[in-house]
Formats: sequence, structure tokens, C-alpha cells
Amino acid sequence: MTIETTLPPATPERPATPASGTVHGNPWHPTFRGVALATWIELLRRRPSTKGYIVYGITLAAIIGLGVLAAVNAGPNKNSIAFELVLVLILGAGMLIGPSLSATSINGDSSEGVLAPLQMTRLSAGDLTFGKLLASWLVCLAALLTTTPLLAYAYTRSGWHLGEAAAVIGMILFVVLAFTAVGLAWSSIAARAVASVSLTHLTTGVFVLGTLLLFAFTQPLVAESVTVTNRYYDWSQATPEEQADPNFDYSTLPCVDQEETWEVFHTEKTAWLLLLNPVVVVAEASPIVNPETYEEDGRAAPGMFAQIHQGVSGARLGPNPIAYDECAMNAGGEDPWAERQKEEALLKPNPWLGLGVAGAMLLGSLWIVVRRLRVPYKRLRSGTRVA
Amino acid sequence: MTTATLAPAAITASGVTRSFGDVKAVVDATLTVPQGTVTALIGPNGCGKTTLMLMLAGLLRPDGGTISVAGHSPTHDAAAVRNAIGWMPDQLGSWDNLTCLQTLTLMGRAYREKKEFSRQRGIGLLQLVHLSEFADRPTRVLSRGQKQRLSLARALIHDPQVLLLDEPANGLDPRSRVELRQLVRELAAGGKTILVSSHVLSELDEMVDGAVFMSKGSTLGEGADAMVADAKTRYRVESLDAEALRAALTGYGQPIEEAEGGLVVRVADEPQAAALLAALVRDGVPVHRFGPAGSALEQTYMLMNEERR
Repeated sequence: MTIETTLPPATPERPATPASGTVHGNPWHPTFRGVALATWIELLRRRPSTKGYIVYGITLAAIIGLGVLAAVNAGPNKNSIAFELVLVLILGAGMLIGPSLSATSINGDSSEGVLAPLQMTRLSAGDLTFGKLLASWLVCLAALLTTTPLLAYAYTRSGWHLGEAAAVIGMILFVVLAFTAVGLAWSSIAARAVASVSLTHLTTGVFVLGTLLLFAFTQPLVAESVTVTNRYYDWSQATPEEQADPNFDYSTLPCVDQEETWEVFHTEKTAWLLLLNPVVVVAEASPIVNPETYEEDGRAAPGMFAQIHQGVSGARLGPNPIAYDECAMNAGGEDPWAERQKEEALLKPNPWLGLGVAGAMLLGSLWIVVRRLRVPYKRLRSGTRVA
Repeated sequence: MTTATLAPAAITASGVTRSFGDVKAVVDATLTVPQGTVTALIGPNGCGKTTLMLMLAGLLRPDGGTISVAGHSPTHDAAAVRNAIGWMPDQLGSWDNLTCLQTLTLMGRAYREKKEFSRQRGIGLLQLVHLSEFADRPTRVLSRGQKQRLSLARALIHDPQVLLLDEPANGLDPRSRVELRQLVRELAAGGKTILVSSHVLSELDEMVDGAVFMSKGSTLGEGADAMVADAKTRYRVESLDAEALRAALTGYGQPIEEAEGGLVVRVADEPQAAALLAALVRDGVPVHRFGPAGSALEQTYMLMNEERR
């Protein structure tokens, strides 16, 4: 039995500048090269199989088909709802795909035994953190590219300006990035992939549905009774003949006052909950549509986002106990209800609170993940080994 | 087992401790591995070997004690320590949809080597661990032993000065074990310092220059060394005529121990063993077997009266 073992014969000359170099301390900060390599490794590992590419191709074909179908059947008028739906679709898909991927990428690697060997290399905790975040996010970006044909078509009919569309898409991608980072943070905290994935989707759910529920449930806490005085024509003063006459001029009747007590909700105190909702953030980031002048403005009729904006603005403005004054309106006065509608529609939108919170979550998550990925470990995730 | 005095130490640890919650994994670990030597880390399951190795590798922070690897302290220059170490973990893991060569190339680049350099080195290492035919196949097709070999190649990708091998022989076939032994000796001859933990003690006997025994989270120092030295003096003699053998040995004034199928005597060194055998043959004792009484490490291990966790 002859056994050959020799040290690598074909080892080439090390490059003149030793790439390994020397290193001091225990750096954690990301480097451009390190992040690029970590991202590349993640993407290679998550690259779809042949079956995956087939599914992806079918999805793309279906979306293009849908776009063509919509184009053929479209009427001549501008309509922003299709574009808004595609944007919500991108947001929804991104918030499902990105966090799902990132939520398994640290504890999953750890249980597969491929995390520690990378931590042993010159890749820093920051390199690994940003690499994993970017890789998951880039997959979402690929999903966005799939919808491009539909998006482009819907855009042409939406009455939006290019800059507005780009800004909103940018904000969507930023929100998706933030929630992807949250998934990564849960993945670095929870030992098991099942736990981190559930916690991640729970977090997303809190922002998408929880904010709405909390807003609804806190309404009794901000309730208040108000009394308003309505004015009516006193129909009881009219004779039976007058009442039967369709041409009777009732403005000749005297006006009467009537007190009415309502319960109003001071939603201006809780409207910030709505502003945290990612869908609301996107709606608030979209352009304002003036319900009276949209045609001259070159816009489509107020769509879904305009309605969301109006609803949120209503909450932000708070209660508006309007007394009903039949007599004044009949005399040519303004309709206060219509005024209020217009005020709500045109209120300056505020996507900044939601974006700010998303930014804070992004930074906080990155901080957690870098800390959890730094070796030597002080503490381990309970119930895990190093690997 | 006493090459320690000459070469400078590449790994030193003294009084290292580490607990996980209430569990004291390592209570007091002290060891020295001289440069260019192979040292075994031996102990029962759960005695803290892997935990100690993780601390030496710079992956786990000790609660107390001092460590120095390749002249760096993991407390101050953890990155330098990690960079100096090739670590072969006890947990087998590989990127299952990447090829063997891709894996090694990417690992090399993670050590900031140039892409082409890493690739060439990866090709060489795959040859070394006899995985060349799998270079372009995904690692998921590898068997357990093959993954083990890939893991060894991965540990060598950046040409580290120090190697920490955690159970490297696990799952290897006999031929691969022999190759691993030879490779480890060659690497040590090339100046690398190697700490290897294993359960296959008879194999370690031929591979290592020194041994560190661990029990219940503590390394056993001088005592264990003495036991190993003592175990090396034990020779086992078997004869067709047990009575004649016993009488002859008693006649030479040799203290004898009973052993299964024969007797165990103590000889100071190999010349003395040769002299004893010559005397037995000369006196007409029909000796049919004469040799060291098994693996010195194994004997020591068994004598340690080990707990098992």
C-alpha cells in the first residue's frame, strides 16, 4: 500500500503584496470588499435551482401577460389605481420575501455549521451583517424587476410624475430593507429558525395590522361628548296643503334651533399609529390629488392612495363637530362638510414619521446583529453551540 | 513526550475557565503547545475539549485565565489570532449547493487572498485531500468522511501557522486515517503547530509529540505526563509455557503483573527490552509474543478512572 501525501504541489506564488496582511484588535466595521464578498457568498448559496428558475420564468410570463391584458382592455381615461395596486404588491411581496430570507440566515447558518468558519476569516461582523442584509434585499429587488413591465405600463396611465414614482419606489425599498434588517436581528437572537421566522412576521404584522387595530381599540380612550346646535326650517309651521305642494318654497318657514349631543373621538392624539403603517407610509408618500382640479392638473381621479390619505388626514385633524345649518346653506353659505373633505384631501402628507421609525429599526437591528456576530462570543444563543 | 523545552510555544493557555450558565464547561485548563509539534487533547465526551478549542480559536471568550496563540492574545488581538489559526470544527458544515472548489476559493478570498491565488491553492488542497474529482461537484454529494476532508482543506486554505483539529478522524475510512496521520506529521515538520483532539487513541500514539488530558473541565498536568511515561515502559510477554516464563522473570528479579493471556513487565527503554527478550530466549522460554502493552495514551486514559458525561 503506497500512500501519497504531499503538501500542495501546485501552490502558486503568493502575490507580491501579501493579501492577508497584519491585523490588530478585533475590528467589527464593514469594508467594501468584505461586504461585497459576504453578499456574493449569500447570493450564491440562495441562488435558485433549475426548478426555481422555471417558477420565476412562469411568474414573469404571467405578469407580462397580465400587463398586456390590462393594456388592451384599458379605457381612455387616466387611472392611478392599477399603479397603486402594483406598488402595494411590491411592498407586500418585499415585506414577505426579504424578512423571510433574512430571518433564517444567521441561526440557519449556525445550525448548518457554516457560520463559525466564516467568522474565523478576515470577514468582520459588519461584513457578514451587511452582506446578509444586502443579499436578502437584492432578492426582493429581483422580485421588483419581475414586476417592471406591469409597473411601467401602469405608470404611463397613472398621472404620476416620474420623480414621484421613483421616490415612492425608493421609499418602498427602504421600508423593505428595514423589515429585512428586523428579520436578520431576530435571526441573530433566536436559536431556532422557526422562532425567528414567526417573530419576524409577527413584527411585520404588528406594523401592518396591529397599528390599525390599536388605532381602533384606543378610540374609546380619546372619546368626548360635544353638544352642537343645529338649525332647521320648522316644517311643523307649514299647512298640510303647503306640505303636499312640490313647488312650495320652504325658505319662507321660520328657523328653529335643536341641540344635539355627539360622541367625538380625538383621533389627532392617536393618528401617529396610522402613520407607522407601511401601507400608509407609501400612500402618504404618493402625490396629492386635488379632487376638484385633478383634470386640469393632468392627474387621474383620486385613487386608493388618495382615499387612504384623506382618511388618515381626517384622523390627524381630529373631530370636527359641524352643526347642520339648513337655513344658512339654503341662503348660499358654504357647505362645511365639503370644506372639511377638501381640507383632508389637501392636508400636507406626512410619510416621515413612518420612515423615521423604519430607519430607527434598521439602525437598531444592524447594531444588534453586529454585536451578536462578533467573536469571541461572550454569550451564546441559549441552547446552541458555536458553529 | 518532552520536546517542549526547546521550541518556543505557539499556543499557551493558563488557568482558563469558562461556564455556560450553571454548567462549568472548562474549570482550569493549562497547556503549552510548542511550535512545530503535534499535541493531542484527550478526554471523555463532555469534558470541555471543544469549549477549550473554541477559546483557543478566538471564537469564545474565556471567563478567566490567559491565552496566547502565535504570539497574540485573543483578548486584545482576536482578529490576529483567528487569522493565524486553521480551525477544523467538530460540526461538519458546508455550503451544500456550492462546489468544493468554489467553497475553498471563497474561503480563501474571505482571508483576503486574491481570487486566482485562492483558486490555485484550492486545487492543490483538493489534490492533497484526494477530492480532486469532486472539485466541480456540489458539496452536498460528499459523504461524511469526504466532508471531513474538505473541512481539513478549508482549514488549510490560508496557510495558517496553527491548526486546531477537533475530532479530525471522525468518520474517516482506515486509509484516510493513515493519510491524515501522515499529513499531520508533514505539516508539523513544515513548522506548523497542531493541537488535535480525538477519541481514536491508538492512532494518536503515532501522530503526536505530546498529550494533554482533560477531565471534568480541567487539564491534568504533570500527573498525566508521568502516567504516559510509565505506560510506555510496560511490555507484555506471552509464552507457550506460562510457568517457565513466570519462573524466568522472577529469576531476573523482574516485578511482574498478571495480564490477560500473559505477563506485563517494566523495562526502562528499548535496549533493555531487547536484552530481556534475549535472556528469555537464551534460557529456553518459548516466547511467542513480546511488545509494548498497547497504546500508552489509551492505557493512561483508562487509568484516569474517568467519569463519562
